[in-house]
Amino acid sequence: MTNDLAALHSYLAVAAVLVGIGLVGFLSRRNMIVMFLSAETMLQGVSLSLVAWGRFHGDLGGQILVLFIIALAAAEAAIALALVVTLFARRGSLDIAAWQDLRESDQPPFEEEDLPPEPSDEPAAWPHLAPAGIEPASIDEKEHYRPKV
Amino acid sequence: MLLDIPFLLILIPLLPLAAAVLTAALGKHVLGRASHWPTVAAVALSSAASLLLVVAVRHEPGHEKIVQLWTWATVDAVSPPPPGEAPTSGYPGVRGAPLPVSPTHPHPNPPPDGEGTGSFHVDVVLRADPLTAVMLATVTFVSLLVCIYSIGYMHGDPGYWRFFSYVSLFVFSMTMLVSVSNFLLLYVFWEAVGLCSYLLIGFWYQKPAAAAAGLKAFLVNRVGDFGFALGVFFLWTTYGTLDFTLLGRPELAHGGTAAAIGLLLLAGACGKSAQFPLHVWLPDAMEGPTPVSALIHAATMVTAGVYLVARCTPLYMASPEARYVVTAIGGGTAVLAAIIALTQTDLKRILAYSTISQLGYMFLALGTGTLLGVAAGMFHLVTHAFFKALLFLGAGSVMHATGGVIDVEKLGGLRRRMPITHWTFLFGCLALAGIFPFAGFWSKDAILAAVAEKSHAGDATWLYLILFLVGTLTAFLTAVYTFRAFFLTFYGRERLEPEAGKHLHESPWVMTGPLAVLALGALAVGGYFQWSGDFLDHKGFLLQTPSLAPLVEQEEMGAAPEPGGEGAHSSSGHLAVALLSTGVAVAGIAVAALLYLGRPAWLEALTALMTALGLYGLSKNKFYFDEIYRALVVGPLERLAAVLAWLDQHGVDALVDAVGAVPRAIGATLRPLQGGLVQFYAVLMILGVLALLGALLL
Amino acid sequence: MIEPRIILALATGLGAVGLGLVLPGGSGRRRAAGALFALAALVAWASLLPGVGPWLANGLFALLAAVTIVAAGAMISCRSPMYSAIWFGMTLLGTAGLFLLVGAEFLAVATLVVYAGAILVTFLFVLMLSEPEGRTSYDRRSWAAMLSATTGAVLIGVLSLTLATGLAGPAGPRASGGGLPRDGLPSAPPTEPADAVGGLLAPSPPAAHRPPPEGPYAVAQLGTELFTRYVIPVEAVATLLLAALVGAAVIIGPRRTPQAP
Repeated sequence: MTNDLAALHSYLAVAAVLVGIGLVGFLSRRNMIVMFLSAETMLQGVSLSLVAWGRFHGDLGGQILVLFIIALAAAEAAIALALVVTLFARRGSLDIAAWQDLRESDQPPFEEEDLPPEPSDEPAAWPHLAPAGIEPASIDEKEHYRPKV
Repeated sequence: MLLDIPFLLILIPLLPLAAAVLTAALGKHVLGRASHWPTVAAVALSSAASLLLVVAVRHEPGHEKIVQLWTWATVDAVSPPPPGEAPTSGYPGVRGAPLPVSPTHPHPNPPPDGEGTGSFHVDVVLRADPLTAVMLATVTFVSLLVCIYSIGYMHGDPGYWRFFSYVSLFVFSMTMLVSVSNFLLLYVFWEAVGLCSYLLIGFWYQKPAAAAAGLKAFLVNRVGDFGFALGVFFLWTTYGTLDFTLLGRPELAHGGTAAAIGLLLLAGACGKSAQFPLHVWLPDAMEGPTPVSALIHAATMVTAGVYLVARCTPLYMASPEARYVVTAIGGGTAVLAAIIALTQTDLKRILAYSTISQLGYMFLALGTGTLLGVAAGMFHLVTHAFFKALLFLGAGSVMHATGGVIDVEKLGGLRRRMPITHWTFLFGCLALAGIFPFAGFWSKDAILAAVAEKSHAGDATWLYLILFLVGTLTAFLTAVYTFRAFFLTFYGRERLEPEAGKHLHESPWVMTGPLAVLALGALAVGGYFQWSGDFLDHKGFLLQTPSLAPLVEQEEMGAAPEPGGEGAHSSSGHLAVALLSTGVAVAGIAVAALLYLGRPAWLEALTALMTALGLYGLSKNKFYFDEIYRALVVGPLERLAAVLAWLDQHGVDALVDAVGAVPRAIGATLRPLQGGLVQFYAVLMILGVLALLGALLL
Repeated sequence: MIEPRIILALATGLGAVGLGLVLPGGSGRRRAAGALFALAALVAWASLLPGVGPWLANGLFALLAAVTIVAAGAMISCRSPMYSAIWFGMTLLGTAGLFLLVGAEFLAVATLVVYAGAILVTFLFVLMLSEPEGRTSYDRRSWAAMLSATTGAVLIGVLSLTLATGLAGPAGPRASGGGLPRDGLPSAPPTEPADAVGGLLAPSPPAAHRPPPEGPYAVAQLGTELFTRYVIPVEAVATLLLAALVGAAVIIGPRRTPQAP
């Protein structure tokens, strides 16, 4: 295997992984925005593979095609976001599972299983600020610090 | 031009057909009360044309004219046999050349023993010969009188136009039946008259009894027609043709074949003419309107069977066994029906059994196979048409006047209120009983004379002797039941219910006119034809029919060795028979008068005697024929039908439903694929892509 | 050592499990475990890459590739869509770097400017209109996590297998020296002339197989090609963009009263 071919294989492998991860995200996330971002990731993988092929063949066509892909992705993003905004305006949520009216009439709707309630992120008590200039009494920061969103 | 036979032959059936179609199309809304005009006009013209036809046939050389209209069907055989060899076309027994299209020019070289191609050829051919002309004249004349009568009888009925349409259709079918010249067309119009009979019996179809009676008539006829059809098949395999010209070569059918054909055709005749064992439909057919009973079930349709047997005389002459069966059935039916008629209380049913009995007489005569017998049978057909139609129309007049009462036990003393009906009915009864000089005397006398002749000389004399005695007994019984009905209806005290007697009046002239004409006929027709010799004379009109020629030959051959003996014997023999028959008839009238006009005690005593002997019950219940048939035939068929219905519902339908359930099941399995979730669809797409990739790349 | 197929199968399985666990829907600990599994799978898979040539001897490729892939994985597993968008930005950065390595400088910059600068920002705008913090029910759950993860992992596995076996041409792995190298990352490259590679991958005419343009004139050459050979597609794409713009405006429709989410 020549260098070129090996390099090509590597880039193609990375592109394949990107496509795969994007696919997983598209299939499993229920937020419309994140679904779309996953689709964009798949497009990125394809762009990478095209550029690698172009490099391998010594043809600028690969890059040009990627350029077109970028332009198309922009157009697609515009339309997709317009649709997302419209759908959000109707239901008030970005959940893709909110739109399942096109099922067969005797099929049951998709129901979510319940998750245990999240531990409340609200701190037991908000910190009180003393009047200006006075340093507040020391509060355990770890108690009120929100480590994650 | 008026005497042009083809023109007349086509006109006679065509006019009633046109009237039937016209009345059916326009009757309900356009013609309404005037629906009778097309029918009456058409039948009147046909009747006139029939009389002209009689004259035309008389002048025709050879007394026969065949008119071919068009070719109906022709089927070629698959492999014609090589010429000169014995014909083998694959069918055992298929012999005989297909006879040419227009038998006016018969085949120049008829093949001696029938080498043929076995092909099938049927034309629409009409024939005019004396037999046909006689039948046509009778049928159309009586039909005309019945149609005129019906104007009065059916007045105000909501199905007025339907009635006349059916009657015209019937006249068309009947005239065609007697005019056609091959067996296949005969079968077609045989069925057609059966259809018209069904339609007319069940005319008041809302009445369940009428609908059932129509069905019974049709089904019982079907049984007979099955035999008839088999007979026609036999005819074709024996002769290779179905044209009536085959009757000119009866020698091809001999022995068993001839007997088989004769018996099968007789089966059809029994069905149509209500002979034992297929007689059960005729009494029930009285549910139809009385003009229908008069026309179809007395004068015309039931005589089709007699016509058939008369037409096939050469075949019956070739087979003595068939002839014996014909006479035996005729005689047996005659006495059977006469016994049953003695105890019936429905006037129309009495007349129905009387019809069966008289038809039995006709078959009795035809089965003798002699010239006198066949001629007497046809003679009786014509006279019977007159007086039986008269009797039925008279009964209809009584029904019309009393508002539908026909039970003789509820009638009585009508002679004062309905004089015309009374006198015409009397003429009819006298003719039926066979009193000189009324019509029935001459024809019945001829029949008994024919049977007596056969009982002296010839084959199976013992059979004919027995039948002669039976015939005489029947003549006695005929007089008894006829005058029983007459006395109960018109004499004695009035037993009418109050509401029926309210508007008792003589019928209008449109009904009594035909009664008068028929009464005149009942009086004079017999004498006239006896004097003119049209029927009974060797050189008479009827016996000039070419298909009856073998009869004449046989008679002349038989008469040749004894030029004078036979004649002398016959004339003295005839006189004896005439005296005997008149005597028993008068005796019968006397007995009836004694029982029904005299003291009631004698009647009660006789009834008690007969009941004790068990005969009264047998007679009253029509010898339990209906019950026997129901148990033997109808019951098992109904059970079989129930089983098959169950099988159809649970077997066949279940199968079809199962076939229908398969797509439903497939649908139910595939339906969850449409869940509504976008990501589910996306998963399915990706799985498809993976499958493709796997197939292509791995 | 071990057969590439088995390593590949292992990587696929680990990757499926890891990705499935790491997607939203479980507790934090489960997601951390999932991340570890995914990382292990990544390492196992990466060990099969044919690391040869001056391209890969430079660990820059490895770094950039790792950054891209990790960022993509993080993008799909963050609960907050805002964080997902940021991780997507990171992915774009990695991809831009990979473009640079290949020599497509214009593309690298275009990716950053257009994708990260315009498209991503638009996404963020729309995200702001709704719940960006990921507390909604649909952000906290995934749909059929295991099924999706398995599907994606199988796809990656199939494509990798294709790379390993099919791309070497009809002559098969024999001509190319045994497919994926058995001893993992960068190994001594066999020196074979380019034309020895037959089959599907033969570069079309030998004249076309020339080293790609390097240096300051690469972009100029790209521009020349764009406006001579590909001028019609360029015009078409321009029209398409216009149509998309108008379409987006139409879909949004006339101004409505703002609704509360």
